[in-house]
Amino acid sequence: MSGTQNRIQKSMENIRASEELKQNTLRYLEMQRTGMKCSIFQRKPYIALRYAMAVICIFLLAGTGGYAVYSRPVSYISIDVNPSIELAINRFDKVVSAKGYNADGQDILQHVALKNISYVQAIDRLLQDAYYSRFLNRDSPLVLTVVSDHSDAMLEQIHANDSFQALDALTYSSDAACMNEAHLHEMSFGKYRAFLELSQYDADITVEDCHGMSMGEIQNRIKTCQGHNGKNAAEGNPAKGHQNGHSKSHGHH
Amino acid sequence: MKSTEDVNRVMESYADMVRRICFVHLKNRHDTEDVFQNVYMKYLLYEGSFESAEHEKAWFARVTINACTDWLRALSRRKWVPLEALAEEGAVRDNPSKEVLETVLKLPEKYRDVIYLFYYEEYSAVEIAKILGKKENTVYTWLSRAKNILREKLGGEWS
Repeated sequence: MSGTQNRIQKSMENIRASEELKQNTLRYLEMQRTGMKCSIFQRKPYIALRYAMAVICIFLLAGTGGYAVYSRPVSYISIDVNPSIELAINRFDKVVSAKGYNADGQDILQHVALKNISYVQAIDRLLQDAYYSRFLNRDSPLVLTVVSDHSDAMLEQIHANDSFQALDALTYSSDAACMNEAHLHEMSFGKYRAFLELSQYDADITVEDCHGMSMGEIQNRIKTCQGHNGKNAAEGNPAKGHQNGHSKSHGHH
Repeated sequence: MKSTEDVNRVMESYADMVRRICFVHLKNRHDTEDVFQNVYMKYLLYEGSFESAEHEKAWFARVTINACTDWLRALSRRKWVPLEALAEEGAVRDNPSKEVLETVLKLPEKYRDVIYLFYYEEYSAVEIAKILGKKENTVYTWLSRAKNILREKLGGEWS
């Protein structure tokens, strides 16, 4: 060993890693090793919480958005005999709300569940109901009015139903303006359409008068008026209904 | 990842060398502890294997020198050790060869490395060239210059 080497070595031989430094480092390495073996969720539990919150938010947003889409009606059906019932239909053809516009209608809805089933099923369930059937007779035909962008397709579906076919029902399609007007008078838009039709023959008839009349009575008045006014009056009526058929009816304004 | 047994073994084998290399580069205990831990952390995560004990030791020397250089570069600290900092180091203060040590520590960083590796760890210039990733001639040049500086500073004591 040269003198230089000896002196350099001597100058550095006291420089050693202390036991404290070694033990601290070993502890640090063990901690790192343990940390790496743990899953990221164990090492950083707040990350798991964040993921959980994110998933919950996504579900809430999707659920809220989905529910908003589901519960938004895009079509309406008014079913009038004496009970006047309106169904609101969503884009999936499901009934999202049902409202009775007179005491009989509200009574029916008390014991016939029509929500969250297809409108065809809802109509079928209604027509199959024994209590509701009491209102259906030759003097009181069922009048069904549809407000929808695809009312023709809906009416086709309804006409395909066996229970509906068994009836001598009248079907109409109407529009949102007529419906809104009807609701201002607290009347189903099917009955309001009939009132508008009648008012073309009878200038003295009022909405209040029709409130107290059954759909059958209004229809009979229309028939009577049509008979009095003769053929010309009938031809001039834009809101004419078809038995077991349908026609566009904008009988308002 | 290396086993606990491997880590314990290399701790016993190379801790002093790692500590000395840190010492010749870094100016305080806290930096030394940080770099010391970083070096062993690198070993813990090292996926490769070593052909021999010499290979393993050279790996530790190279990794420690690089870790020190990176540490200093990152902190933009001075690459030499101030005397006031040295005074805080018991190893220097109580060292009978204090003058030699201080002179070595005042050498430029690259000279400190070759002096330490050559004289203390007894590596050849060829081996030092491999550890530092430099050409042999460069190492020879650095060694020669470092010796000249030491001779100049230490005068008659340095023969």
